[in-house]
Amino acid sequence: MSLAAYAERFERFAAALPEAERAARRAQLQRFVADGFPTPRLEEWHYTDLAPLSQRAFEPAAGGNAALAPHFLAGTDRLVYVGGMLVSADSTAPERHSAAAPAQDEGVYALNAAFARDGLLLRLGRGERLPRPLQVLIAGADGAVAAMTHQRHRIELAENTEATVIFQFLNQGGGGLATHVIDVRLAPGARLNLFRIQDERADATLLTRCDVRQERDSVLHAVSFDCGGGLVRHDLNILLAEAGAETGLYGLYQPAAGAHLDNHTRIVHAAPQCRSREQFKGIVDARARAIFNGKVVVQAGAQKTDSEQRVANLLLSPKAEVNAKPELEIYADDVKCAHGATVGQLDETALEYLRSRGVPPAEARALLLRAFATEVLDHVPLAPLRAALAARLGLAGTDAWELEA
Amino acid sequence: MLEVKGLHAKVEGKDILKGLDLSVRAGEVHAIMGPNGSGKSTLSHVIAGREGYEITAGSVQFDGRDLLALPPETRACEGIFLGFQYPVEIPGVSNLTLLKAALNARRKYRGQPEIDPGDFLAWVRDRARLVKIDPKMLSRGVNEGFSGGEKKRNEILQMLVLEPRLMILDETDSGLDIDALKIVADGINALRSPERATLLVTHYQRLLDYVQPDYVHVLARGRIVRSGGPELARELEQKGYGWLEAA
Ligand SMILES: Nc1ncnc2c1ncn2[C@@H]1O[C@H](COP(=O)(O)OP(=O)(O)O)[C@@H](O)[C@H]1O
Ligand SMILES: [Mg+2]
Repeated sequence: MSLAAYAERFERFAAALPEAERAARRAQLQRFVADGFPTPRLEEWHYTDLAPLSQRAFEPAAGGNAALAPHFLAGTDRLVYVGGMLVSADSTAPERHSAAAPAQDEGVYALNAAFARDGLLLRLGRGERLPRPLQVLIAGADGAVAAMTHQRHRIELAENTEATVIFQFLNQGGGGLATHVIDVRLAPGARLNLFRIQDERADATLLTRCDVRQERDSVLHAVSFDCGGGLVRHDLNILLAEAGAETGLYGLYQPAAGAHLDNHTRIVHAAPQCRSREQFKGIVDARARAIFNGKVVVQAGAQKTDSEQRVANLLLSPKAEVNAKPELEIYADDVKCAHGATVGQLDETALEYLRSRGVPPAEARALLLRAFATEVLDHVPLAPLRAALAARLGLAGTDAWELEA
Repeated sequence: MLEVKGLHAKVEGKDILKGLDLSVRAGEVHAIMGPNGSGKSTLSHVIAGREGYEITAGSVQFDGRDLLALPPETRACEGIFLGFQYPVEIPGVSNLTLLKAALNARRKYRGQPEIDPGDFLAWVRDRARLVKIDPKMLSRGVNEGFSGGEKKRNEILQMLVLEPRLMILDETDSGLDIDALKIVADGINALRSPERATLLVTHYQRLLDYVQPDYVHVLARGRIVRSGGPELARELEQKGYGWLEAA
């Protein structure tokens, strides 16, 4: 294993850093070198092996161009990053951008902590409400080769605040590596709608982790979509730290051909009377691999926990590969917990029925896929975003919402 | 309009239809009756193009075209409609979505533009009234949670919306109470015209009291063993099928 290339890049990077930051970041790089990239020997990385990354050398990304205008969502404010740099001209909310403070982390995220400099900083004061959803577009630069980007983002919502944030990861290719940490704090009564959309190119590696700490009566509504990607790993960690907190995690994954997609969620009920709902759905075709691991931990003392977790997968080919595993660990006795995972195929009888009414096979399939995905799409209240997602996932067509509108 | 000649069909290696002949002209209503397991649904499915049937001999022509060479969606666009004996539930695909996709598929097939959404809704609501289907049910998944009677009425609704030229109704009357039976019959009668033909596949005489057939055929052992006028249906009602099966 040789992480020398990373250490060498870091020294060049560190030379330009303010003296005060250098030591902390160097400590993180050393931590990374000590830990190395995770390998399947770690239980949490059983299906996803990052060891090959140790043989690679990446150059820190340095901005660039990407044609992102088609992705701009109407009615939102925007923060745009290309190649790790803020694009001021396209950002309508530049005040939400901030230099990331040095952080402490471990494993591959120590590498992130060593390099990460830029990101979103959304802080709302007591009672404040973000007037428009905030779209954070994070794109690889056109033509970038073997570039690496590391960013850290922070969302801090004070008491009784409300915000909607959409993270979109796209256009990364050229064998690049991107890592992102999103740190979320929800004070009592805060409410966050958090969307994550991953649509990277086939040869990209994207590692993202979102840590959420929820205080009393706060509400998180998080929806995740994966539709592209080379090697993608997303970790979503929720700590229900105080009573009455509520979290809803929803996701749809449809990995592109050749993609390896690994979603890990972990919900820790650490306080009584919290509620968690989780529903992930996967549509997996030949030559794609999807992993879903959802863990719910109910700690001792988290009485009256109400938790439900559902995972459903649709295999479009006998060659598709899915590993879906819900896990439940309960250390309290007065709780209501349910979980389940299914793997199935498209309903041939329904397909035949649609064809008998004149609907061509391709459209009939799309209708059934959409029916499968609808439960997750329904968790996206923003119409332009929902429409864009449906189109991207190949699920557009006659739309019940449009008909009823 | 429909010419079935010497049709032999197998299901899972088993001979079901064994030399079936049937000729239906535009404007006519034919009733196909017969005991359970005689092959009535098989015949309906073979005409509509359902998969899983092996045609070993014979031909099926529709307006002089070889129907057996066409995939089911093309047959539907050509104007064939099969009301299923066991309609399928499709959760998540609303009735409106299905109807719109089906209507537009036909229009595309004929080189017409897509239907205007407003016209579409008005048309479907108008048709739903005929079969007494609550417009709210149109937004629900296809047959999702529908009662047996609602499913059958929903088949008739689809037929009324799509206006096929050949309507094949496979035991649409079974399991219906008298009110639902009348609604179904009214729906079929509403589409009766000199350009259309109907194939009523049924086990009982009951539906034929409301939809007068021009011809009645008895299907047994994979063939039409007897044909006649409406009086044949009444005879069957009295004597059952035994005398014909034995014949
Ligand atoms: N999918 C199938 N597999 C095996 N046998 C079948 C299948 N479908 C129908 N059959 C058999 O074919 C015969 C005719 O069935 P069907 O056409 O449904 O009769 P009917 O509609 O007149 O009651 C029956 O003996 C039935 O058991
Ligand atoms: Mg039958």
